[in-house]
Amino acid sequence: MSAILSAEVIDLLNSQETAKILATVDEHGHPHAVVKKSLHNGGDGNIHLLEILESSHTGRNLLGALWFGRKVSISLLGKEGRQVQIKGKPLKCHISGPLFQRNYVKLRERLGDVDLAAVWVIEPEEVIDADFAERKARQDKERPTLIHLDRLLKETAV
Amino acid sequence: MAALVTLVKNRYREEPSFDETLAGHPGFPRLVALKIDVQRRGVSYTDRAQAAVDPAIHQLRSPYIFGSRDGAIKPLPESLLLRDGTTILTDPTPLEQDPYIVDYLDGEFVLVDNGEVREAVELWSKPAYYGKFTSSGQPMSHIVSARPQRLNVFQSSFCYFWAEDKGCKFCDIVTHTKQQREELGVPNRLRPEDVRETVTEALKESGRFTSLCFTAGSVIKGDTLFDREVDFYVELLQAIGEIFRTKKFPSQLIGSAFNEKQLTRLYEETGLSSYTSDLEVLDEEQFNWLCPGKAKWVGYKEWRERLVRAVDIFGRGNVGTGLVSGIELARPHGFSSEKDALSATLSEAEYLAERGVTTVYIVWVPRPGSALRGQKAPSLDYFIRLAQGLQDLRVKYKLRVDFDDYRRCGNHPDSDLARLQ
Ligand code: SF4
Repeated sequence: MSAILSAEVIDLLNSQETAKILATVDEHGHPHAVVKKSLHNGGDGNIHLLEILESSHTGRNLLGALWFGRKVSISLLGKEGRQVQIKGKPLKCHISGPLFQRNYVKLRERLGDVDLAAVWVIEPEEVIDADFAERKARQDKERPTLIHLDRLLKETAV
Repeated sequence: MAALVTLVKNRYREEPSFDETLAGHPGFPRLVALKIDVQRRGVSYTDRAQAAVDPAIHQLRSPYIFGSRDGAIKPLPESLLLRDGTTILTDPTPLEQDPYIVDYLDGEFVLVDNGEVREAVELWSKPAYYGKFTSSGQPMSHIVSARPQRLNVFQSSFCYFWAEDKGCKFCDIVTHTKQQREELGVPNRLRPEDVRETVTEALKESGRFTSLCFTAGSVIKGDTLFDREVDFYVELLQAIGEIFRTKKFPSQLIGSAFNEKQLTRLYEETGLSSYTSDLEVLDEEQFNWLCPGKAKWVGYKEWRERLVRAVDIFGRGNVGTGLVSGIELARPHGFSSEKDALSATLSEAEYLAERGVTTVYIVWVPRPGSALRGQKAPSLDYFIRLAQGLQDLRVKYKLRVDFDDYRRCGNHPDSDLARLQ
């Protein structure tokens, strides 16, 4: 079990107002990035996803990732503009059992007559601060030569 | 227990290890290969694992149409689930036959081989209706048994082929039925009211079940061959149909090779949504040897053509046939090489797939109550190639297998692969 999700990231994950994108790839390397509002903190150190459709492209890619060791990526954008990227791997797919059934009931209470195909468990392996100001400050500090020269000109030189 | 197993580990099979075999199939999922291997070799529960089984939350073995490898009916877990949702239907196997060991370590059940933990597993959850009784006083678990997402209705546990000593050679239905009746009091034939009542109770558990499967032995009686068998199913399906708001409901009937009139009746008069009739082995000579009853009353080619004709009634992707894979290599009349067996099987499966019939297999378990007892199933490599070959045919002919997939059945390694289709 991993414990790399900070309280701030957990809040972002659990907020209804956070935009959540899950990116997966298929066996040919074709990317597939979609909004997945149901991504949430699983409470076990992992991120859980409710996959409603059995025929879902994401579901197939997650299975391929679990079977063949591919990674997935999650991007979170909070309502205040906070951005975080999480890289991880699918660990488990609940298609029955207590966790599945609990989520099935809760989902139907919330959304009405829908089904549930699986509860996916994604283990976070790396959390990257994707906040623009943070990233810019880091690059400016660590790699100051990555800059267009015109930005370095003295005002009097123009 | 693991140490003991290492000591008694014998040369039950002379073959490459699991990892060596899998290395030859980099595109094949390890978890599905593990499922195959566990089904092929069976399991043995350590005392520690048995002590960790909680009958209040875990599903223990319920009456089943066929028997198990150890020939005993014991209160052990029904079966296992892998972390990708793959079901492993397997049964307790004597240690001298080199099974996987199910142990309980650090708070979880694990599959152990050669003293090494191979994977964590979960036991099936006990359905809420187990432990309840029908109004006629029958334990509901004796009427309808559960898989993680499916309800099994084994309508009768008698096969008329056995009456003339023409039962399929791998089958132990009658031996096992007798044992279940004597040891558990399981009824020989189900009453539709008991089934309807049990299914209604089972479906009170939200999110648990996705399909119903009906099967039984062959019943050759009636004005036309199998008419009585169809009568039983129609009666049962109509009784269950009363509880659903749609005419059709997700269901599979695994029956004899019915004629068009019988199939039309089933399709039009009931809510049945798919039809399966098992050829068991895809080779006429072997069929005649291994399935003498089916061969005598219907014949291989006619059985096959009835399946093809069923596609006109149930539609592409809703008709299938099952194989007991491995019997095609049984002694003394089976194929002499796995290569020949594979190519014969896949070529016949292609004939069927072209015509809209999908083929799935179960791993042959030489059961002690069957005529082929004491033999060994083929190699893991063979079963991997067969699973991939059958799934490739589904992709090639754009055939779906939703009615018999990882969730609605869980007993076919080849249709587990259809999850990526
Ligand atoms: S048809 Fe064959 S496999 Fe089926 S129950 Fe009868 S003897 Fe057994």
